[in-house]
Amino acid sequence: MGNGRMLELSNVEAGYELLQVLWDVSLHVDEGEFVALLGPNGAGKTTTLRTIAGFLKPSGGEITFRGTPIAGARAHAVSRMGLGYVSETLNLFPAMTVHENLQVGATSVRDRGQIAATMDLVFELFPRLHERRGQLAGTLSGGERKMLAIGRGLMASPSLLLVDEPSLGLAPMATVATFEALKALRERGVTIMLVEQNVNTTLHLVDRAYVLEQGRIVLEGTGQELLTNPHVQAAYLGI
Amino acid sequence: MTTAATNLRSVPLARRFLSFTWLTLGAALLVMAWAAVAQPSILIDTLVTGGMWALMAAGLAMVFGVMNIPNFAHGELFLLGSFTAFTVYSPIRDAMFNDPSLTVLKIFGPFPGMVAALLVGAVVGVLLEVVLFRPLRRRSREQWVMNTFLLTAGVSVVIVNGYRLAFGNNYHGVTRYWDVPPLEILGVPISVDRAMVLVIALVTIGLFAVFLQRTSLGRAIRAVSQDETGAQMAGIDLNRIFVLTMGLSCALAALAGAALLFLFPAYPDVGLQPLYLAWFVVILAGLGNIPGAIVGAFIVSLLQTLTAFYLRVGWVDVMPTVFIILILLFKPSGLFGSAVKGVWEQ
Repeated sequence: MGNGRMLELSNVEAGYELLQVLWDVSLHVDEGEFVALLGPNGAGKTTTLRTIAGFLKPSGGEITFRGTPIAGARAHAVSRMGLGYVSETLNLFPAMTVHENLQVGATSVRDRGQIAATMDLVFELFPRLHERRGQLAGTLSGGERKMLAIGRGLMASPSLLLVDEPSLGLAPMATVATFEALKALRERGVTIMLVEQNVNTTLHLVDRAYVLEQGRIVLEGTGQELLTNPHVQAAYLGI
Repeated sequence: MTTAATNLRSVPLARRFLSFTWLTLGAALLVMAWAAVAQPSILIDTLVTGGMWALMAAGLAMVFGVMNIPNFAHGELFLLGSFTAFTVYSPIRDAMFNDPSLTVLKIFGPFPGMVAALLVGAVVGVLLEVVLFRPLRRRSREQWVMNTFLLTAGVSVVIVNGYRLAFGNNYHGVTRYWDVPPLEILGVPISVDRAMVLVIALVTIGLFAVFLQRTSLGRAIRAVSQDETGAQMAGIDLNRIFVLTMGLSCALAALAGAALLFLFPAYPDVGLQPLYLAWFVVILAGLGNIPGAIVGAFIVSLLQTLTAFYLRVGWVDVMPTVFIILILLFKPSGLFGSAVKGVWEQ
Protein backbone atom coordinates (compact mmCIF):
# COMPACT_ATOMS: atom_id res chain seq x y z
CA MET A 1 0.00 0.00 0.00
CA GLY A 2 3.02 2.23 0.48
CA ASN A 3 1.58 5.64 -0.25
CA GLY A 4 -1.75 4.59 1.22
CA ARG A 5 -3.42 4.57 -2.16
CA MET A 6 -6.60 2.54 -1.92
CA LEU A 7 -8.07 2.81 -5.39
CA GLU A 8 -6.70 4.16 -8.61
CA LEU A 9 -8.36 4.46 -12.02
CA SER A 10 -6.12 5.46 -14.91
CA ASN A 11 -7.57 6.36 -18.29
CA VAL A 12 -10.59 4.08 -17.86
CA GLU A 13 -12.97 3.75 -20.78
CA ALA A 14 -16.20 1.80 -20.38
CA GLY A 15 -19.74 1.53 -21.67
CA TYR A 16 -22.52 -0.72 -22.87
CA GLU A 17 -22.18 -2.46 -26.22
CA LEU A 18 -21.96 0.33 -28.81
CA LEU A 19 -22.48 3.15 -26.35
CA GLN A 20 -19.31 4.35 -24.68
CA VAL A 21 -20.07 6.11 -21.41
CA LEU A 22 -16.72 6.77 -19.72
CA TRP A 23 -13.93 8.55 -21.54
CA ASP A 24 -10.43 8.57 -20.13
CA VAL A 25 -11.49 8.65 -16.48
CA SER A 26 -8.64 8.87 -13.98
CA LEU A 27 -9.20 9.25 -10.29
CA HIS A 28 -7.90 7.93 -6.99
CA VAL A 29 -8.97 7.39 -3.41
CA ASP A 30 -6.43 7.27 -0.58
CA GLU A 31 -6.71 5.28 2.60
CA GLY A 32 -9.06 6.87 5.11
CA GLU A 33 -10.37 9.41 2.62
CA PHE A 34 -13.98 10.36 2.01
CA VAL A 35 -14.33 11.09 -1.70
CA ALA A 36 -17.38 12.03 -3.74
CA LEU A 37 -18.10 11.67 -7.43
CA LEU A 38 -20.54 14.37 -8.48
CA GLY A 39 -22.27 15.22 -11.70
CA PRO A 40 -25.59 15.47 -13.48
CA ASN A 41 -27.88 12.61 -14.49
CA GLY A 42 -26.38 10.44 -17.19
CA ALA A 43 -22.83 11.67 -16.63
CA GLY A 44 -21.58 8.14 -15.97
CA LYS A 45 -21.32 8.14 -12.16
CA THR A 46 -23.11 4.82 -11.70
CA THR A 47 -21.23 3.36 -14.66
CA THR A 48 -17.96 4.32 -12.95
CA LEU A 49 -18.95 2.49 -9.75
CA ARG A 50 -20.24 -0.55 -11.65
CA THR A 51 -16.96 -0.73 -13.55
CA ILE A 52 -14.91 -0.55 -10.34
CA ALA A 53 -17.10 -3.16 -8.63
CA GLY A 54 -16.63 -5.63 -11.49
CA PHE A 55 -20.15 -5.57 -12.94
CA LEU A 56 -18.90 -3.93 -16.12
CA LYS A 57 -15.70 -4.74 -17.96
CA PRO A 58 -13.75 -1.61 -18.96
CA SER A 59 -12.77 -1.42 -22.63
CA GLY A 60 -9.59 0.43 -21.78
CA GLY A 61 -7.44 1.72 -18.95
CA GLU A 62 -6.42 0.28 -15.62
CA ILE A 63 -8.03 -0.09 -12.21
CA THR A 64 -5.93 -1.02 -9.19
CA PHE A 65 -7.24 -1.72 -5.72
CA ARG A 66 -4.55 -1.68 -3.01
CA GLY A 67 -1.95 -2.25 -5.70
CA THR A 68 -3.70 -5.18 -7.39
CA PRO A 69 -5.14 -4.74 -10.89
CA ILE A 70 -8.89 -5.52 -10.78
CA ALA A 71 -10.11 -4.34 -14.20
CA GLY A 72 -12.18 -7.19 -15.65
CA ALA A 73 -12.19 -9.21 -12.41
CA ARG A 74 -15.55 -10.79 -11.54
CA ALA A 75 -17.80 -8.90 -9.15
CA HIS A 76 -17.79 -11.46 -6.33
CA ALA A 77 -13.99 -11.63 -6.44
CA VAL A 78 -13.71 -7.85 -6.20
CA SER A 79 -16.06 -7.92 -3.23
CA ARG A 80 -13.98 -10.61 -1.55
CA MET A 81 -10.86 -8.47 -1.93
CA GLY A 82 -12.43 -5.93 0.40
CA LEU A 83 -14.12 -3.56 -2.01
CA GLY A 84 -17.74 -3.14 -0.95
CA TYR A 85 -20.40 -1.74 -3.25
CA VAL A 86 -23.83 -0.42 -2.36
CA SER A 87 -25.77 -0.01 -5.59
CA GLU A 88 -28.41 2.54 -6.42
CA THR A 89 -31.02 -0.23 -6.70
CA LEU A 90 -29.81 -1.72 -3.36
CA ASN A 91 -30.30 -5.32 -4.55
CA LEU A 92 -31.50 -6.56 -1.17
CA PHE A 93 -32.96 -10.03 -0.67
CA PRO A 94 -36.62 -9.06 -0.21
CA ALA A 95 -37.90 -12.38 1.13
CA MET A 96 -35.16 -12.66 3.76
CA THR A 97 -35.16 -10.97 7.14
CA VAL A 98 -32.94 -8.01 7.96
CA HIS A 99 -30.79 -10.34 10.04
CA GLU A 100 -30.41 -12.85 7.20
CA ASN A 101 -29.55 -10.10 4.72
CA LEU A 102 -26.73 -9.04 7.01
CA GLN A 103 -25.59 -12.65 7.44
CA VAL A 104 -25.40 -13.08 3.67
CA GLY A 105 -23.35 -9.89 3.55
CA ALA A 106 -20.77 -11.68 5.71
CA THR A 107 -20.55 -14.71 3.41
CA SER A 108 -16.85 -14.14 2.76
CA VAL A 109 -16.02 -13.83 6.48
CA ARG A 110 -15.04 -17.05 8.25
CA ASP A 111 -14.51 -15.78 11.78
CA ARG A 112 -17.82 -15.94 13.69
CA GLY A 113 -16.60 -13.52 16.31
CA GLN A 114 -15.84 -10.96 13.66
CA ILE A 115 -19.28 -11.41 12.10
CA ALA A 116 -20.95 -10.81 15.48
CA ALA A 117 -18.80 -7.74 16.13
CA THR A 118 -19.55 -6.23 12.71
CA MET A 119 -23.24 -6.89 13.18
CA ASP A 120 -23.11 -5.06 16.51
CA LEU A 121 -21.43 -2.14 14.74
CA VAL A 122 -24.14 -2.09 12.05
CA PHE A 123 -26.88 -2.14 14.69
CA GLU A 124 -25.09 0.65 16.56
CA LEU A 125 -24.95 2.78 13.40
CA PHE A 126 -28.53 1.95 12.47
CA PRO A 127 -30.55 1.21 15.63
CA ARG A 128 -33.61 1.06 13.38
CA LEU A 129 -32.27 -2.11 11.75
CA HIS A 130 -31.93 -3.71 15.17
CA GLU A 131 -35.61 -3.02 15.87
CA ARG A 132 -36.53 -4.59 12.54
CA ARG A 133 -34.04 -7.44 12.48
CA GLY A 134 -36.74 -10.14 12.25
CA GLN A 135 -38.70 -8.35 9.55
CA LEU A 136 -38.51 -9.19 5.85
CA ALA A 137 -36.36 -6.78 3.86
CA GLY A 138 -39.16 -6.38 1.32
CA THR A 139 -41.38 -4.82 3.99
CA LEU A 140 -38.95 -2.06 5.03
CA SER A 141 -39.38 1.63 4.21
CA GLY A 142 -37.12 3.32 1.67
CA GLY A 143 -34.80 4.74 4.32
CA GLU A 144 -34.56 1.46 6.18
CA ARG A 145 -33.79 -0.38 2.97
CA LYS A 146 -30.98 2.05 2.26
CA MET A 147 -29.59 1.49 5.77
CA LEU A 148 -29.80 -2.26 5.30
CA ALA A 149 -27.95 -2.07 1.99
CA ILE A 150 -25.14 -0.07 3.60
CA GLY A 151 -25.17 -2.44 6.58
CA ARG A 152 -24.95 -5.47 4.33
CA GLY A 153 -22.06 -3.85 2.50
CA LEU A 154 -20.28 -3.33 5.83
CA MET A 155 -20.72 -6.95 6.93
CA ALA A 156 -17.77 -8.08 4.80
CA SER A 157 -15.59 -5.51 6.64
CA PRO A 158 -14.54 -3.81 3.39
CA SER A 159 -11.53 -1.51 3.34
CA LEU A 160 -13.27 0.64 0.74
CA LEU A 161 -17.00 1.16 0.41
CA LEU A 162 -18.56 2.51 -2.80
CA VAL A 163 -21.99 4.02 -2.16
CA ASP A 164 -24.27 5.00 -5.04
CA GLU A 165 -26.72 7.85 -4.36
CA PRO A 166 -27.51 7.28 -0.69
CA SER A 167 -29.96 10.20 -0.71
CA LEU A 168 -31.92 9.10 -3.78
CA GLY A 169 -35.64 8.87 -3.11
CA LEU A 170 -35.29 9.50 0.61
CA ALA A 171 -37.22 11.93 2.76
CA PRO A 172 -35.00 14.78 4.07
CA MET A 173 -34.89 13.24 7.57
CA ALA A 174 -33.77 9.89 6.25
CA THR A 175 -31.15 11.58 4.07
CA VAL A 176 -29.68 13.30 7.11
CA ALA A 177 -29.61 10.00 9.02
CA THR A 178 -27.85 8.23 6.14
CA PHE A 179 -25.22 10.95 5.82
CA GLU A 180 -24.69 10.91 9.59
CA ALA A 181 -24.06 7.19 9.41
CA LEU A 182 -21.55 7.60 6.59
CA LYS A 183 -19.76 10.28 8.61
CA ALA A 184 -19.64 7.95 11.62
CA LEU A 185 -18.25 5.18 9.45
CA ARG A 186 -15.59 7.42 8.12
CA GLU A 187 -14.57 8.32 11.67
CA ARG A 188 -14.11 4.61 12.26
CA GLY A 189 -11.56 4.49 9.47
CA VAL A 190 -13.62 3.11 6.60
CA THR A 191 -12.62 4.67 3.29
CA ILE A 192 -15.70 5.77 1.37
CA MET A 193 -16.36 6.79 -2.19
CA LEU A 194 -19.75 8.31 -2.71
CA VAL A 195 -21.79 9.13 -5.80
CA GLU A 196 -24.25 11.95 -5.23
CA GLN A 197 -26.49 14.49 -6.90
CA ASN A 198 -27.06 16.33 -3.67
CA VAL A 199 -24.01 18.52 -4.31
CA ASN A 200 -24.27 21.10 -1.54
CA THR A 201 -24.60 18.65 1.37
CA THR A 202 -22.01 16.33 -0.08
CA LEU A 203 -19.34 18.97 -0.56
CA HIS A 204 -19.66 20.01 3.08
CA LEU A 205 -19.15 16.41 4.15
CA VAL A 206 -16.33 15.00 2.03
CA ASP A 207 -12.57 15.52 1.86
CA ARG A 208 -12.32 15.59 -1.87
CA ALA A 209 -14.60 15.38 -4.87
CA TYR A 210 -14.50 14.80 -8.59
CA VAL A 211 -17.01 16.26 -11.02
CA LEU A 212 -17.99 14.00 -13.88
CA GLU A 213 -19.72 15.46 -16.94
CA GLN A 214 -20.57 13.52 -20.09
CA GLY A 215 -18.28 10.70 -19.07
CA ARG A 216 -15.21 12.83 -18.38
CA ILE A 217 -13.70 14.17 -15.18
CA VAL A 218 -13.93 17.94 -15.53
CA LEU A 219 -12.98 19.11 -12.03
CA GLU A 220 -11.22 17.83 -8.98
CA GLY A 221 -10.63 19.44 -5.61
CA THR A 222 -11.31 19.49 -1.89
CA GLY A 223 -14.86 20.12 -0.73
CA GLN A 224 -14.06 23.74 0.11
CA GLU A 225 -12.33 24.36 -3.24
CA LEU A 226 -15.28 23.06 -5.19
CA LEU A 227 -17.80 24.99 -3.10
CA THR A 228 -16.11 28.20 -4.19
CA ASN A 229 -15.50 27.10 -7.78
CA PRO A 230 -17.51 29.28 -10.21
CA HIS A 231 -18.48 26.36 -12.46
CA VAL A 232 -19.77 24.30 -9.54
CA GLN A 233 -21.60 27.32 -8.11
CA ALA A 234 -23.27 28.08 -11.41
CA ALA A 235 -24.09 24.56 -12.52
CA TYR A 236 -24.86 22.74 -9.25
CA LEU A 237 -25.40 25.22 -6.44
CA GLY A 238 -27.51 27.73 -8.31
CA ILE A 239 -25.48 30.67 -7.01
CA MET B 1 -42.40 -6.31 -4.61
CA THR B 2 -42.48 -3.99 -1.63
CA THR B 3 -46.21 -3.54 -1.90
CA ALA B 4 -46.92 -7.24 -2.31
CA ALA B 5 -44.90 -8.06 0.76
CA THR B 6 -46.48 -5.25 2.76
CA ASN B 7 -49.94 -6.44 1.78
CA LEU B 8 -49.06 -9.89 3.04
CA ARG B 9 -48.40 -8.42 6.46
CA SER B 10 -51.41 -6.16 6.67
CA VAL B 11 -54.05 -8.68 5.59
CA PRO B 12 -56.13 -9.63 8.67
CA LEU B 13 -55.40 -13.10 9.96
CA ALA B 14 -58.92 -14.41 9.39
CA ARG B 15 -58.88 -13.38 5.76
CA ARG B 16 -55.44 -14.82 5.22
CA PHE B 17 -56.65 -18.22 6.35
CA LEU B 18 -59.84 -18.01 4.30
CA SER B 19 -57.75 -17.69 1.18
CA PHE B 20 -57.87 -20.21 -1.60
CA THR B 21 -54.54 -21.70 -0.61
CA TRP B 22 -55.52 -22.34 2.98
CA LEU B 23 -58.90 -23.74 2.00
CA THR B 24 -57.19 -26.21 -0.30
CA LEU B 25 -54.65 -27.14 2.36
CA GLY B 26 -57.41 -27.48 4.95
CA ALA B 27 -59.43 -29.74 2.66
CA ALA B 28 -56.37 -31.90 2.01
CA LEU B 29 -55.62 -32.18 5.73
CA LEU B 30 -59.26 -33.04 6.50
CA VAL B 31 -59.26 -35.81 3.93
CA MET B 32 -56.02 -37.16 5.36
CA ALA B 33 -57.37 -37.04 8.90
CA TRP B 34 -60.50 -38.82 7.75
CA ALA B 35 -58.36 -41.39 5.95
CA ALA B 36 -56.30 -41.98 9.07
CA VAL B 37 -59.47 -43.13 10.83
CA ALA B 38 -61.55 -44.71 8.08
CA GLN B 39 -59.03 -45.93 5.48
CA PRO B 40 -55.51 -45.89 6.94
CA SER B 41 -54.07 -47.40 3.77
CA ILE B 42 -54.98 -44.23 1.85
CA LEU B 43 -53.01 -42.16 4.32
CA ILE B 44 -50.02 -44.47 4.18
CA ASP B 45 -49.98 -44.66 0.38
CA THR B 46 -50.23 -40.87 0.22
CA LEU B 47 -47.29 -40.39 2.55
CA VAL B 48 -45.08 -42.96 0.83
CA THR B 49 -45.50 -41.77 -2.76
CA GLY B 50 -45.82 -38.14 -1.63
CA GLY B 51 -42.40 -38.33 -0.02
CA MET B 52 -40.82 -39.40 -3.28
CA TRP B 53 -42.63 -36.83 -5.43
CA ALA B 54 -41.46 -34.28 -2.87
CA LEU B 55 -37.82 -35.27 -3.47
CA MET B 56 -38.34 -34.96 -7.23
CA ALA B 57 -40.32 -31.72 -7.06
CA ALA B 58 -38.07 -30.00 -4.50
CA GLY B 59 -35.07 -30.34 -6.82
CA LEU B 60 -37.07 -29.21 -9.83
CA ALA B 61 -38.39 -26.19 -7.94
CA MET B 62 -34.93 -25.28 -6.66
CA VAL B 63 -33.33 -25.35 -10.10
CA PHE B 64 -36.14 -23.22 -11.48
CA GLY B 65 -36.05 -20.79 -8.57
CA VAL B 66 -32.28 -20.35 -8.44
CA MET B 67 -31.16 -20.84 -12.05
CA ASN B 68 -34.39 -20.13 -13.98
CA ILE B 69 -34.07 -23.45 -15.75
CA PRO B 70 -37.21 -25.52 -16.43
CA ASN B 71 -35.44 -28.87 -16.27
CA PHE B 72 -37.13 -31.39 -18.55
CA ALA B 73 -34.26 -33.83 -18.09
CA HIS B 74 -35.12 -34.22 -14.38
CA GLY B 75 -36.84 -37.57 -15.01
CA GLU B 76 -33.69 -38.95 -16.60
CA LEU B 77 -31.88 -38.43 -13.29
CA PHE B 78 -34.56 -40.66 -11.77
CA LEU B 79 -33.65 -43.24 -14.45
CA LEU B 80 -29.91 -42.94 -13.82
CA GLY B 81 -30.54 -43.25 -10.09
CA SER B 82 -32.61 -46.39 -10.43
CA PHE B 83 -30.12 -48.02 -12.81
CA THR B 84 -27.17 -47.14 -10.57
CA ALA B 85 -28.95 -48.62 -7.57
CA PHE B 86 -29.74 -51.76 -9.57
CA THR B 87 -26.13 -52.14 -10.69
CA VAL B 88 -24.71 -51.70 -7.21
CA TYR B 89 -27.40 -53.72 -5.44
CA SER B 90 -27.37 -56.78 -7.75
CA PRO B 91 -24.00 -58.22 -6.59
CA ILE B 92 -24.98 -57.52 -2.96
CA ARG B 93 -28.25 -59.39 -3.47
CA ASP B 94 -26.37 -62.31 -5.07
CA ALA B 95 -23.95 -62.43 -2.15
CA MET B 96 -26.90 -62.59 0.25
CA PHE B 97 -28.49 -65.31 -1.82
CA ASN B 98 -25.32 -67.41 -1.73
CA ASP B 99 -24.72 -66.92 1.96
CA PRO B 100 -27.97 -66.23 3.86
CA SER B 101 -26.06 -65.80 7.10
CA LEU B 102 -24.89 -62.31 6.03
CA THR B 103 -27.35 -60.43 8.24
CA VAL B 104 -25.44 -57.17 7.91
CA LEU B 105 -26.18 -57.17 4.18
CA LYS B 106 -29.79 -58.01 4.89
CA ILE B 107 -30.17 -54.79 6.84
CA PHE B 108 -27.73 -52.41 5.17
CA GLY B 109 -27.43 -54.00 1.69
CA PRO B 110 -29.69 -51.53 -0.14
CA PHE B 111 -27.92 -48.41 1.12
CA PRO B 112 -24.69 -48.53 -0.98
CA GLY B 113 -26.84 -48.46 -4.12
CA MET B 114 -28.73 -45.42 -2.88
CA VAL B 115 -25.55 -43.59 -1.91
CA ALA B 116 -24.04 -44.46 -5.32
CA ALA B 117 -27.18 -43.10 -7.02
CA LEU B 118 -26.89 -39.91 -4.99
CA LEU B 119 -23.27 -39.49 -6.12
CA VAL B 120 -23.98 -40.31 -9.77
CA GLY B 121 -26.86 -37.80 -9.73
CA ALA B 122 -24.63 -35.12 -8.24
CA VAL B 123 -21.88 -35.72 -10.80
CA VAL B 124 -24.30 -35.65 -13.74
CA GLY B 125 -25.87 -32.46 -12.38
CA VAL B 126 -22.48 -30.78 -12.05
CA LEU B 127 -21.56 -31.85 -15.59
CA LEU B 128 -24.84 -30.49 -16.98
CA GLU B 129 -24.12 -27.10 -15.41
CA VAL B 130 -20.44 -26.92 -16.37
CA VAL B 131 -20.67 -28.39 -19.88
CA LEU B 132 -24.05 -27.06 -21.05
CA PHE B 133 -25.59 -24.27 -19.00
CA ARG B 134 -22.44 -22.28 -18.19
CA PRO B 135 -21.31 -21.84 -21.83
CA LEU B 136 -24.88 -20.92 -22.79
CA ARG B 137 -25.07 -18.40 -19.94
CA ARG B 138 -21.77 -16.83 -20.96
CA ARG B 139 -22.95 -16.47 -24.54
CA SER B 140 -26.31 -14.89 -23.83
CA ARG B 141 -29.05 -14.77 -21.23
CA GLU B 142 -31.64 -13.60 -23.68
CA GLN B 143 -34.56 -16.01 -24.03
CA TRP B 144 -32.89 -17.99 -21.26
CA VAL B 145 -35.93 -19.94 -20.06
CA MET B 146 -36.94 -20.99 -23.56
CA ASN B 147 -33.37 -21.92 -24.53
CA THR B 148 -32.76 -23.98 -21.42
CA PHE B 149 -36.14 -25.67 -21.85
CA LEU B 150 -35.11 -26.81 -25.34
CA LEU B 151 -31.66 -27.73 -24.10
CA THR B 152 -32.93 -29.92 -21.25
CA ALA B 153 -35.57 -31.52 -23.47
CA GLY B 154 -32.72 -32.42 -25.82
CA VAL B 155 -30.61 -33.77 -22.97
CA SER B 156 -33.57 -35.94 -21.97
CA VAL B 157 -33.78 -37.45 -25.47
CA VAL B 158 -30.04 -38.06 -25.53
CA ILE B 159 -29.96 -39.76 -22.13
CA VAL B 160 -33.02 -41.94 -22.80
CA ASN B 161 -31.68 -43.16 -26.13
CA GLY B 162 -28.09 -43.38 -24.94
CA TYR B 163 -29.35 -45.55 -22.11
CA ARG B 164 -31.36 -47.67 -24.55
CA LEU B 165 -28.27 -48.11 -26.72
CA ALA B 166 -26.05 -49.10 -23.80
CA PHE B 167 -28.37 -51.16 -21.61
CA GLY B 168 -31.28 -52.11 -23.85
CA ASN B 169 -35.03 -51.99 -23.39
CA ASN B 170 -35.25 -54.55 -20.61
CA TYR B 171 -36.54 -53.92 -17.14
CA HIS B 172 -33.83 -53.97 -14.48
CA GLY B 173 -35.49 -54.14 -11.13
CA VAL B 174 -35.76 -55.84 -7.78
CA THR B 175 -38.87 -57.35 -6.25
CA ARG B 176 -37.96 -56.00 -2.85
CA TYR B 177 -35.03 -54.47 -1.01
CA TRP B 178 -35.72 -55.81 2.46
CA ASP B 179 -36.73 -59.46 2.58
CA VAL B 180 -38.64 -59.34 5.86
CA PRO B 181 -42.30 -59.65 6.81
CA PRO B 182 -44.37 -56.45 6.50
CA LEU B 183 -44.85 -54.09 9.42
CA GLU B 184 -48.27 -53.24 10.68
CA ILE B 185 -49.11 -49.55 11.03
CA LEU B 186 -52.63 -48.39 11.96
CA GLY B 187 -53.75 -51.93 11.30
CA VAL B 188 -52.52 -51.84 7.71
CA PRO B 189 -49.72 -54.14 6.60
CA ILE B 190 -46.97 -52.06 5.01
CA SER B 191 -43.83 -53.54 3.48
CA VAL B 192 -40.53 -52.47 4.99
CA ASP B 193 -39.48 -51.19 1.57
CA ARG B 194 -42.35 -48.72 1.50
CA ALA B 195 -41.81 -47.69 5.09
CA MET B 196 -38.13 -47.08 4.32
CA VAL B 197 -39.07 -44.95 1.30
CA LEU B 198 -41.03 -42.69 3.62
CA VAL B 199 -38.20 -42.57 6.17
CA ILE B 200 -35.62 -41.78 3.49
CA ALA B 201 -37.82 -39.06 2.01
CA LEU B 202 -38.52 -37.43 5.37
CA VAL B 203 -34.89 -37.54 6.52
CA THR B 204 -33.63 -36.16 3.20
CA ILE B 205 -36.20 -33.39 3.08
CA GLY B 206 -35.45 -32.54 6.70
CA LEU B 207 -31.72 -32.30 6.07
CA PHE B 208 -32.35 -30.31 2.92
CA ALA B 209 -34.55 -27.85 4.81
CA VAL B 210 -31.97 -27.39 7.57
CA PHE B 211 -29.29 -26.89 4.94
CA LEU B 212 -31.25 -24.15 3.15
CA GLN B 213 -32.47 -22.49 6.32
CA ARG B 214 -29.49 -22.58 8.65
CA THR B 215 -26.20 -22.92 6.79
CA SER B 216 -24.25 -20.17 5.11
CA LEU B 217 -24.24 -22.05 1.78
CA GLY B 218 -28.00 -22.59 1.99
CA ARG B 219 -28.50 -18.90 2.66
CA ALA B 220 -26.27 -18.12 -0.34
CA ILE B 221 -28.50 -20.30 -2.56
CA ARG B 222 -31.60 -18.47 -1.34
CA ALA B 223 -29.85 -15.12 -1.82
CA VAL B 224 -29.02 -15.95 -5.44
CA SER B 225 -32.64 -16.92 -6.07
CA GLN B 226 -33.77 -13.50 -4.81
CA ASP B 227 -31.18 -11.17 -6.28
CA GLU B 228 -28.16 -12.31 -8.29
CA THR B 229 -26.53 -8.88 -8.33
CA GLY B 230 -26.95 -8.50 -4.58
CA ALA B 231 -25.46 -11.94 -4.03
CA GLN B 232 -22.40 -11.04 -6.10
CA MET B 233 -22.01 -7.82 -4.11
CA ALA B 234 -21.92 -10.00 -1.00
CA GLY B 235 -19.02 -11.96 -2.47
CA ILE B 236 -21.01 -15.01 -3.58
CA ASP B 237 -19.63 -16.75 -6.67
CA LEU B 238 -22.67 -17.43 -8.85
CA ASN B 239 -20.94 -20.24 -10.76
CA ARG B 240 -20.27 -22.08 -7.53
CA ILE B 241 -23.90 -21.75 -6.42
CA PHE B 242 -25.18 -22.94 -9.81
CA VAL B 243 -22.93 -26.01 -9.69
CA LEU B 244 -24.10 -26.78 -6.17
CA THR B 245 -27.79 -26.23 -6.97
CA MET B 246 -27.73 -28.41 -10.06
CA GLY B 247 -25.73 -31.13 -8.31
CA LEU B 248 -28.07 -31.20 -5.31
CA SER B 249 -31.23 -31.19 -7.38
CA CYS B 250 -30.04 -34.04 -9.61
CA ALA B 251 -28.81 -36.02 -6.60
CA LEU B 252 -32.29 -35.82 -5.03
CA ALA B 253 -33.94 -37.06 -8.23
CA ALA B 254 -31.46 -39.93 -8.51
CA LEU B 255 -32.06 -40.85 -4.87
CA ALA B 256 -35.80 -40.99 -5.56
CA GLY B 257 -35.13 -43.34 -8.47
CA ALA B 258 -32.92 -45.56 -6.32
CA ALA B 259 -35.32 -45.72 -3.38
CA LEU B 260 -38.27 -46.62 -5.63
CA LEU B 261 -36.41 -49.33 -7.59
CA PHE B 262 -38.75 -52.01 -6.22
CA LEU B 263 -41.74 -50.10 -7.66
CA PHE B 264 -40.18 -48.64 -10.83
CA PRO B 265 -37.58 -50.94 -12.41
CA ALA B 266 -34.96 -49.18 -14.52
CA TYR B 267 -35.94 -48.95 -18.19
CA PRO B 268 -35.43 -46.17 -20.73
CA ASP B 269 -38.72 -44.31 -20.22
CA VAL B 270 -39.08 -44.78 -16.48
CA GLY B 271 -38.34 -41.10 -15.85
CA LEU B 272 -41.34 -39.85 -17.77
CA GLN B 273 -44.02 -40.33 -15.11
CA PRO B 274 -41.92 -38.93 -12.24
CA LEU B 275 -40.97 -35.96 -14.44
CA TYR B 276 -44.56 -35.10 -15.24
CA LEU B 277 -45.69 -35.62 -11.67
CA ALA B 278 -42.91 -33.37 -10.42
CA TRP B 279 -43.98 -30.74 -12.94
CA PHE B 280 -47.62 -31.08 -11.86
CA VAL B 281 -46.49 -30.47 -8.31
CA VAL B 282 -44.28 -27.50 -9.14
CA ILE B 283 -46.97 -25.84 -11.27
CA LEU B 284 -49.57 -26.50 -8.58
CA ALA B 285 -47.37 -25.05 -5.86
CA GLY B 286 -46.06 -22.05 -7.76
CA LEU B 287 -42.91 -22.14 -9.85
CA GLY B 288 -39.64 -22.16 -7.99
CA ASN B 289 -40.90 -22.49 -4.41
CA ILE B 290 -39.43 -25.42 -2.49
CA PRO B 291 -41.67 -25.65 0.62
CA GLY B 292 -44.66 -25.25 -1.68
CA ALA B 293 -43.38 -28.09 -3.83
CA ILE B 294 -42.99 -30.35 -0.79
CA VAL B 295 -46.54 -29.68 0.40
CA GLY B 296 -47.84 -29.87 -3.18
CA ALA B 297 -46.24 -33.29 -3.62
CA PHE B 298 -48.35 -34.70 -0.81
CA ILE B 299 -51.52 -33.09 -2.22
CA VAL B 300 -50.89 -34.60 -5.66
CA SER B 301 -50.10 -37.95 -4.10
CA LEU B 302 -53.32 -37.79 -2.04
CA LEU B 303 -55.31 -37.16 -5.20
CA GLN B 304 -53.59 -40.07 -6.91
CA THR B 305 -54.26 -42.41 -4.02
CA LEU B 306 -57.92 -41.41 -3.77
CA THR B 307 -58.31 -41.87 -7.50
CA ALA B 308 -56.71 -45.31 -7.45
CA PHE B 309 -58.82 -46.32 -4.46
CA TYR B 310 -62.24 -45.08 -5.52
CA LEU B 311 -62.02 -44.68 -9.28
CA ARG B 312 -59.54 -46.66 -11.31
CA VAL B 313 -55.76 -46.85 -11.40
CA GLY B 314 -55.89 -45.70 -15.02
CA TRP B 315 -57.16 -42.28 -13.88
CA VAL B 316 -54.24 -41.74 -11.53
CA ASP B 317 -52.53 -39.13 -13.71
CA VAL B 318 -55.77 -37.56 -14.92
CA MET B 319 -57.18 -36.42 -11.60
CA PRO B 320 -54.17 -34.37 -10.44
CA THR B 321 -54.08 -32.68 -13.85
CA VAL B 322 -57.76 -31.76 -13.67
CA PHE B 323 -57.21 -30.45 -10.16
CA ILE B 324 -54.24 -28.36 -11.28
CA ILE B 325 -56.21 -26.88 -14.16
CA LEU B 326 -58.94 -25.90 -11.69
CA ILE B 327 -56.42 -24.34 -9.28
CA LEU B 328 -54.73 -22.38 -12.04
CA LEU B 329 -58.10 -21.02 -13.21
CA PHE B 330 -58.56 -19.41 -9.81
CA LYS B 331 -54.96 -18.76 -8.80
CA PRO B 332 -52.68 -18.55 -11.86
CA SER B 333 -49.51 -18.16 -9.77
CA GLY B 334 -50.07 -21.53 -8.11
CA LEU B 335 -51.09 -22.32 -4.53
CA PHE B 336 -47.99 -20.78 -2.94
CA GLY B 337 -47.03 -18.41 -5.73
CA SER B 338 -46.47 -14.79 -4.77
CA ALA B 339 -44.92 -11.64 -6.12
CA VAL B 340 -41.89 -12.07 -3.88
CA LYS B 341 -39.33 -14.23 -5.58
CA GLY B 342 -37.46 -16.80 -3.54
CA VAL B 343 -36.89 -20.54 -3.49
CA TRP B 344 -37.62 -21.01 0.17
CA GLU B 345 -39.86 -18.16 1.27
CA GLN B 346 -43.59 -17.84 0.70
